[in-house]
Amino acid sequence: MIHVLIFLPALAGLIGLVLPRWARGLGLLATLISAGLGLFYLLGGPGMRALVEVPLLKEAGVYYAVGVDGVGAAFALLVPLGVFLALVALPEAPGRMLALGLLMTSGLLGIFLSLDLVLFYLFYEATLIPSLLLLGVYGGENRVKALIKFALFTLLGSLLMLAGILAARYLGGAETFLLRDLLAHRVSGAAATWAFLAFALAFWVKTPLFPLHVWLPDFHAENHPSGFADVLGTLYKVGAFGFFRWAIPLFPEAFLALKPYLLFLAAFTALWGAWIAYAQTDWKRLIAYGALAHMGIAALGVFSGTTQGATGALFLLSAGALYTGGLFLLAGWLYRRFGTLAVAPTHGLAKHAPALAAVFLFMVLAMIGLPGLAGFPGEFMSLLGAWAASPGWTLLGFLSVIAAASWGLTAYQRLFHGPPGQRVADLRGEEWVYAVLAVALIAFLGLYPRLVAGPLAEGARALAALFGGGQ
Amino acid sequence: MLMLLAIGLPLLGFLVLGLFGRRFKEPAPGVLASALVGLSFLISVYLLFVGGERFALADWLPGIPFALNFDHLSGYMALIVTGIGFLIHVYAIGYMAGDEGFSRFFAYFNFFIAAMLTLVFADSYPVMFIGWEGVGLASFLLIGFWYTDWKNADSARKAFVVNRIGDLGFLLGMAALYAFFGTLSISGLKEAIEGSLVLPAGLGLVGLLLFVAAVGKSAQVPLMVWLPDAMAGPTPVSALIHAATMVTAGVYLLARSSFLYVNLPDVSYWIAVIGVLTALYGALSALGQWDIKKIIAYSTISQLGYMFLAVGVGAYWIALFHVMTHAFYKALLFLASGSVIHALNGEQDVRKMGGLKKYLPRTHLHGLIGALSLAGFPLMAGFWSKDAIITATLTYPFGGLGFYLVALFTAFLTAIYAMRWYVLVFLGEFRGQGHPHEAPPVMTVPNDVLAFGATFAGFLALPEPFWNLIEPFLAPALAEVEAHPFAPLVEWGLILLSAVVALVGLWAGYTLYADYFKKKLPEWYRAFERAALEAFYVDKIYNAFLVNPAKETAKLLGLTDRGLDATYAAAAAEVGVLGRVLARLQTGYARFYAFLILLFAGLFVLWGVVR
Repeated sequence: MIHVLIFLPALAGLIGLVLPRWARGLGLLATLISAGLGLFYLLGGPGMRALVEVPLLKEAGVYYAVGVDGVGAAFALLVPLGVFLALVALPEAPGRMLALGLLMTSGLLGIFLSLDLVLFYLFYEATLIPSLLLLGVYGGENRVKALIKFALFTLLGSLLMLAGILAARYLGGAETFLLRDLLAHRVSGAAATWAFLAFALAFWVKTPLFPLHVWLPDFHAENHPSGFADVLGTLYKVGAFGFFRWAIPLFPEAFLALKPYLLFLAAFTALWGAWIAYAQTDWKRLIAYGALAHMGIAALGVFSGTTQGATGALFLLSAGALYTGGLFLLAGWLYRRFGTLAVAPTHGLAKHAPALAAVFLFMVLAMIGLPGLAGFPGEFMSLLGAWAASPGWTLLGFLSVIAAASWGLTAYQRLFHGPPGQRVADLRGEEWVYAVLAVALIAFLGLYPRLVAGPLAEGARALAALFGGGQ
Repeated sequence: MLMLLAIGLPLLGFLVLGLFGRRFKEPAPGVLASALVGLSFLISVYLLFVGGERFALADWLPGIPFALNFDHLSGYMALIVTGIGFLIHVYAIGYMAGDEGFSRFFAYFNFFIAAMLTLVFADSYPVMFIGWEGVGLASFLLIGFWYTDWKNADSARKAFVVNRIGDLGFLLGMAALYAFFGTLSISGLKEAIEGSLVLPAGLGLVGLLLFVAAVGKSAQVPLMVWLPDAMAGPTPVSALIHAATMVTAGVYLLARSSFLYVNLPDVSYWIAVIGVLTALYGALSALGQWDIKKIIAYSTISQLGYMFLAVGVGAYWIALFHVMTHAFYKALLFLASGSVIHALNGEQDVRKMGGLKKYLPRTHLHGLIGALSLAGFPLMAGFWSKDAIITATLTYPFGGLGFYLVALFTAFLTAIYAMRWYVLVFLGEFRGQGHPHEAPPVMTVPNDVLAFGATFAGFLALPEPFWNLIEPFLAPALAEVEAHPFAPLVEWGLILLSAVVALVGLWAGYTLYADYFKKKLPEWYRAFERAALEAFYVDKIYNAFLVNPAKETAKLLGLTDRGLDATYAAAAAEVGVLGRVLARLQTGYARFYAFLILLFAGLFVLWGVVR
């Protein structure tokens, strides 16, 4: 079953590459089934389930090892669900583009469910290929520059990680690359610090954190205006997850030594992103910087090394694509209407398109962490954890909530308020379907976060236990 | 579960009106919305009779329950919110008649009630925060209700952003509380703090952070700048949200957390200082306003300052007493202003009013009662509660003579500006154009009820030796504070003094502003009026030193961020040979990169096997 969960979207994607007209329909079906399986695991109670360990290269100690714990289940539900919603929202998108996205979906699920370090790395890198193709084939005018930047940063990071991976096994003396083996044979001393740094740099790029985030705004700005690649790109920001699952548990002492700096970096990123977002005039850049701030908050949560903080971070990562991705998709709808991604191609739009205005405001509010919507639980739990680790840096990072309100409402108002301007169509057909589903889901997760937060906390406790916490 | 119903009914109204409002014909949305709030009111009354209830959903977030609690304090607030809220809903049916966004208005109004009830019922701080930001959102939506005017939209945003500063305090306060006690349940924290012999040293910080939240929501110095601008919304909004209920949420938060503040004399002292300063600032600013609603808006700031003063000195029940009387007379003043604006087709400048007593007899009566109650005219509701606060500055543990003197002086100013408002609007000759007409009964009848409350609500809590129904009623939910009441003779002497101050203020206001436009006033007073009109330039100072620099910095940081890019590029170029090799790798073809990745992955696996 777990294989179906992981690879069904890829299968749909492969068929979709050949028969682009089927891509959307198959993709909808595949992601829905995957999400359903994810929900099944999520409701199935605690513990590691569906554990599969098949030796890939026995001599090298590489296993195909996957399994679903609480954390995995939450991602297994929300990753395909996010892609499903995006597919709903995009009836007219090129089929091959959607197919690439489906391939990416499987890669992402592999990243979140891998229990073998090499397998994780393979998924991590394999996901890059469709991601680059999405940007390279369907991107905008300056896609080449954006692509080079994105690829270079990511590849340099993962090359270092590769070195770290080798160090993790061979310096520690583990028999295999299985997570449990590596945890049983941790590297210690100065070597651990270097290995941790190698991992940290890769995840630093991929979280992303200041100053290695510079690929992010261009990546989003140059991707297809429909916002589809951005939804997947948002999910692909797996750095904080990498810290959570691999880097910190493998090298807890090295992490502890660097913790104060990492916390500062995370807090700084949060404020930096949110503040800059205010001055952006392009929707994609705006959302990219806003989301960067969230990643800073998520990183604060993970770096706190507490149950609450890690739960919050994982919540931000898994649920974030619903509203961050949602805002990208809404920007895509604007592009369809105005042919531009400028924040305010007109003004007073609420008059002619009240439903569009309402959905837009809803997404903005979810994104700026309004309690009762899906953006809040993650932010709040990260806050609780971060405060326990460092009140000072927490204050710095959470100044971003003020900045978030500023950029969110300013951008919304510039387009939707003011004297009525150009007339465009309000929501129609598929847009309504998407809007209803997304709004319901975001509100549900905000009002009943327990569904996801409980299972996430299970994994978070294990992390906190490394540092003497985890009740 | 009844609490969920009380919240759910208006929430349902919001959803129905928000989604299908356009299909309803006027006044159906207004009637529906009012009826739902009325039902919530009845549920609250019922719950009070049966002695309240609790609701909890464990592990809503890991370790944090979703908890609601209907006790006397939340019941008291719920009655104010839904009772006054119901009256204002009904009034708005008349006031908003013919507006294009009629059902949208009532959708927002119902949403506000649902959020406010969540706030008051909450038994854990994160749940309260849902309501807290929910009412902030309602406020944003309603201030910017007429969004086609940029000015209204700007005011709405300003309110939300300034409130967010306070909200950050709330968030950090919760984090600190959680760090100390491992729980955010309000009753749990109450037990923990009341039961512990030694309190954590950092508890003052928690008190301070939650206070910041209250300062934002209740428009206290220095975060008061959003409230006057909030008058951009329709007048019933000003009455309901920016006077009677939402802005008192800060007072409620502090009173709800009284178990905390009673242990924090230092923080309490600062609450009182901010409160009394705000009271004075609001009263002085009110003296210079020409907009009929802004006079009352600054008065709201000032009265909220009184409530904070009461909380600060430890007189929690008196603060809540004033919340109630203020809700009556301030809602009345706003709605009477609304009737005046309605009668004058949108005119809000008091210089173009005057003499309306003749045209609007009923509204005149409402305005007079509201103004007198605000001014503290003896025996009116505002008199009893304000006087209780002024006296409390001497009898409650964290008080002091300084507070007393400033509070008394502010009461004098209050009487002056209340009379100024009344005289400029209703007395003298009509200075405007057209033929003002009295409002329809759907607007005047709610005001009759409010006027009744503004007159008599004070009799619920009288000084010794008479009855006091409110203090014992609220006592179980509030921290115990040992007050040192004066002997009845002294107390009544002080009451007499306040009465005289109010009467002298009213007289001064009348002599100053009757025939105001024919008088030649001294230059220093004109200068004062000009400064007061600008609310002593606080807005301008903030814009020059905080808001604009922050906006410019955003642009600058954006440029810096792009500059980082260039730095990397330059660095890459400097690397020389390696740089050139790498540069050659940058073919720009995605498939090439894909190939590279596979190559490396393959090499790696190969290496593993060979080894």
